[in-house]
Amino acid sequence: MHVEATHDVLVVGAGCAGMRAAIEAHDAGADVGVISKLHPTRSHSGAAEGGINAALGNAGEDSPASHTFDTVKGSDYIGDQDAIEILCREAPGDIFQLEHWGAVFSRREDGKLAQRPFGAAGSPRTVFAADITGHVLIQVLYEQLVKRGITVYEEFFAWKLVENDDRCQGVICWDLLDGGLKTIGGKTVVLATGGQGRIYRTTTNAYACTGDGAAMALHLGLPLKDMEFMQFHPTTLYPTGILLTEGCRGEGAYLINKDGERFMKRYAPNAMELASRDVVSRSEQTEIDQGRGVDGSIFLDMRHLGAARIIERLPGSRELAMTFAGIDPIYDPVPVRPGAHYHMGGVETDNEGATELTGLYAAGEVACVSVHGANRLGGNSLMETITFGRRAGRAAAEWALSHTTIDVPRSAEADAERELQQLLDVAEGERPWQIRNDLGTSMLENFGVFRREEQMLEQLDTIEALRERYERGVVIEDKGDVFNTDLTQAIELGNMLDLSWCMVQAGIARKESRGAHARPYDYPTRDDENFMKHSISRWVDGAPQLSYSEVRVTEYEPMERTY
Amino acid sequence: MTRVAYYKGCLASLSAKELDSATQALAPKVGLDLVELESVTCCGAGDIHEAEPDYYLHLNARILAYAAAEGVDTLLTVCNVCTLNLRQANFILLGDSDVRARVNENLVAIGVPAYERDVDVRHLLWEIAEGEGYEKLKTAAHRGLKGLKIAPFYGCQILRPSRIQGFEDPDRPWSLERIIEACGGEAIDYPAKIKCCGFPIIQAREETALGELIQPIEQAVEAGADAMVTPCPLCHLSLDAWQSKLKATTGRDFKMPILHLSQLVGVAAGLQESELRFKRHVVSVKPMLEKIEA
Amino acid sequence: MQVGLKVWRFNARTGERELAEYEVDAPEEATLLDVLDIVKDKHDGTLAYRKSCRMMICGSCGMRMDGAAVLACKTRMYDIAQAGHVPVISAMGNLPIVKDLVVDMDPFWDKFKSVDPFLRPGYDEPPGGRENLIRQERMNVIHKESLCINCGCCVSECNAMESDPRFLGPQALAKAMRFVGDPRDGHKIERLDALNGEHGIWECTRCYFCNERCPKGVDPRDAIAKLGAESMKEGIDGDMGAKHAKWFVVSAKTTGWLRETELVPKTQGLVAAIKQTRFALDLAVKGKVPPPVPPHVAKNVRQARRLHDLVRDQGVNGYAGIVQGEHALAKLAHGHVSGETLEEIYDRPGAFPRPYIAEEAEEAVAS
Repeated sequence: MHVEATHDVLVVGAGCAGMRAAIEAHDAGADVGVISKLHPTRSHSGAAEGGINAALGNAGEDSPASHTFDTVKGSDYIGDQDAIEILCREAPGDIFQLEHWGAVFSRREDGKLAQRPFGAAGSPRTVFAADITGHVLIQVLYEQLVKRGITVYEEFFAWKLVENDDRCQGVICWDLLDGGLKTIGGKTVVLATGGQGRIYRTTTNAYACTGDGAAMALHLGLPLKDMEFMQFHPTTLYPTGILLTEGCRGEGAYLINKDGERFMKRYAPNAMELASRDVVSRSEQTEIDQGRGVDGSIFLDMRHLGAARIIERLPGSRELAMTFAGIDPIYDPVPVRPGAHYHMGGVETDNEGATELTGLYAAGEVACVSVHGANRLGGNSLMETITFGRRAGRAAAEWALSHTTIDVPRSAEADAERELQQLLDVAEGERPWQIRNDLGTSMLENFGVFRREEQMLEQLDTIEALRERYERGVVIEDKGDVFNTDLTQAIELGNMLDLSWCMVQAGIARKESRGAHARPYDYPTRDDENFMKHSISRWVDGAPQLSYSEVRVTEYEPMERTY
Repeated sequence: MTRVAYYKGCLASLSAKELDSATQALAPKVGLDLVELESVTCCGAGDIHEAEPDYYLHLNARILAYAAAEGVDTLLTVCNVCTLNLRQANFILLGDSDVRARVNENLVAIGVPAYERDVDVRHLLWEIAEGEGYEKLKTAAHRGLKGLKIAPFYGCQILRPSRIQGFEDPDRPWSLERIIEACGGEAIDYPAKIKCCGFPIIQAREETALGELIQPIEQAVEAGADAMVTPCPLCHLSLDAWQSKLKATTGRDFKMPILHLSQLVGVAAGLQESELRFKRHVVSVKPMLEKIEA
Repeated sequence: MQVGLKVWRFNARTGERELAEYEVDAPEEATLLDVLDIVKDKHDGTLAYRKSCRMMICGSCGMRMDGAAVLACKTRMYDIAQAGHVPVISAMGNLPIVKDLVVDMDPFWDKFKSVDPFLRPGYDEPPGGRENLIRQERMNVIHKESLCINCGCCVSECNAMESDPRFLGPQALAKAMRFVGDPRDGHKIERLDALNGEHGIWECTRCYFCNERCPKGVDPRDAIAKLGAESMKEGIDGDMGAKHAKWFVVSAKTTGWLRETELVPKTQGLVAAIKQTRFALDLAVKGKVPPPVPPHVAKNVRQARRLHDLVRDQGVNGYAGIVQGEHALAKLAHGHVSGETLEEIYDRPGAFPRPYIAEEAEEAVAS
């Protein structure tokens, strides 16, 4: 194994955040390399549907201040307000940039960008492209990547970060197409590897969403922030967990229980179906737990929208419902239930995307700036990938351009080789899927929408047992070089086990209900006095250690949060 | 007898007159009373659709309008490409009242009746593969094919896009096989029967087209077919008239007779050479005919 | 349910090929992708295939089932299993196989990149740096092309590409149309010129396999037709394919029926036509070359002439002529034609209860 190449800026992950960072770094004059375990357009950003938020004011009075307030409130007051201000202020410019690059957004009658209402938004500010916004963004960003001729190490599985001399200096990868460990050196590295929804059995996430970047940072001793906050999207199809966009509700769809009642009236009488996601998921779960659901699901009813509107504005959702649930939403309500969707927590960064480790940056879902706090508004995640992807890319480029050396020690490569051989040498034992399924089921059961002390403690034990089974050795049947996803899937499982440990540990310690962390049975209210702070998880001697850090408040003092 | 409007298309009018004569002779035997449309033009093939699509729409609307004016329910075609073009134009007009209104306004302005009463466009193949037409076919094919091995060649546009054509599963079609069997022949199966003969680019990109054309012919020969049958005169032209070009590229003289659908059924129904006009084929059909006589 | 599969295993390094058979127990809602996952997890971890989103948007899982390219995640197995059919799964066509169901996508991406697949702006900077003002109707020109997820199903089945691997292909051409039709792009003529090259628009054989196989409704063949139409409108018509097409228009206007005999020299030029003389004579002997004189003229052909001029002046030219039909043809795609009212939908037998709000319902009862 040898150092394959070196770059000024190395971006790991080629979704919206990764590609935006790479483009910006390139435009700032840096030599950029992008590492991705998938071809860029396969990244999960492309599955986003409903839209991207910015206070353009096209559909009604709006302002970055209003967007900021909605986001701060939506975060249940632990979003860092200076970061949120930056996001909301810079968002409009970023959207216009995308449009100038050719993004195929939906339009208003007057030719301006259309904006639809979304959860917990005071004004309709979600810019969209029918219900395939993520797809449109992925396409335009990849086009711009191709235009600049940026090098992409496609189907390279990033496994370990290289730290040397108190700096991050590169990434050790497994080359999926040809086989073998390859090291790519970078004066700076930007993590943009997305989330880890695959920890849960019911998730909107792709198979690829296994938290590899967060795990790499974790293992290096970096602080991960707010790990306990996992967003459950209210409308995932039953039984697959496939996402039906919030945009359906934005277009006016209802949520009804098995009797046809629009139950949101009892939980969020003003915002109704467009309350904040955590509120809606909890309401649904309550209806389901109290017996007013069917097959553990309630229903998304679009019948009253009419065929024309559904086909024009929500054709993707209709096709998903028909293909994966066998239901045509024009005629019948679609069974949906909460599913793991987005991780608010992640690698701690400052407002420029820099982490604690010099030379290492992070942006997008893998990062925690934090703009989303305890709960994210729909449409804000895509915006975060663009705005903070850009900022991290520029910051990384500027740092790289003012520094000259890269030094990847031989020992790092040697250690990795040894570890790899150990993994492949396991001859007898479990196959990874068994541990993966047990993790997914138990996390859903014990660390889902509603959480209880006893169940979370039980989950810690379960995770410990699962890690033990994993450490004992899982059998990787494919010992070959070519397209060995058997190997990479085993590594991904290890990542997910470590991350879930952090998540549950932080969850037990947070003795309150805030945002997506709901403990209605033991700690039903928010406790600002003791817990208006961020959880910090660090890996010390092979286990997570918990501490706390301050929330950055600028303008908004915490208020009661109702919709 | 069902009265249908008959649109023969360009090839059946000119270089493939044998298709027209066979069809006209066969029609009454399978219960079809053909009302030949005269005030029509070429349907445009893929060419006018690509070069001047608005004109393509209007030309086909004109054909549909004249068919409708005959008071029939069905417009009968004998060519894959005509069928696709007319059906596509038909769906556009039926599915968009604004477009239909504009097109009709134009038609009326030049003296053509507006297309108001809807007609359905159907290939002869579909008429005789099932239902009443099929029953009549079985009776008509009294002379039979005496177990001849016939390789059906569907070509492309009678099957795809299946959203528009829709008669049968585009990947597992059965109509030609059923007809071959009803006529007393043995249907040969081979992979390239639903692939492209290359005709649309046989002049502009000859080499590429021949690379396509060789596949069905070679496979039919290897499967032991006595002849091939196709519902499209453009495919027929490729398979028959351009077969000699394959000799130059492969050194092989395939000598595979190619029959129009109407001719194949016509043979089984005892039509005469004056109606079948096999003499117009480039590749001789004699060996196949001799086999039946034997 | 019990599901059987046959999978073509292949290793490009060793050249070994074998048809492996699997039988697994899968849930009723399982897709082909789910079944492959079960095979890989529980039967043979060496099976190689791509996957990611499992919801038909990432485009990773293109593969052939019984010789026809599909997205594995979109293909439900219930009916197939019920019928007792054991499908044969193999890698997509027209691309080199790396291993099992994984193809080398480099040739695919190379063609994609060759059409300059990014906006080359040709507009003045909008005031205040805001968005370009464009009506939805105008953007709809490229709506279908913008749906493409680069899955490769169209390329897999392209008959022209199978015969000539250098053909640009349906995906690259559809992507090119996405820019040719984008009002913000400033290089339409340049793009069209390039696309009229030897392996561009006019090498498409019109087999419609791409339209048939595309899992997203892009209809690449129609995108290619749009490019052809726009090329002709802009006077870019030097290719033999364009000349061939033009002659059809001329024929329709003048004689109604195609003037076949003159087609060859009109398409290929007089010199080439002369080279074909031997071939032409073989055809002429059979009467396949109808004499151009006297011309075979359709009845009332004057109408066709007048129609041409009338229509041309109405300005639905170039790709607009094809876009105008998309609204109607989309009805065939989304499969919804009937126009029931909401009441009719709510009243269908066995329909789900109507939505209501409890407070209002209580109030109604009380009053």
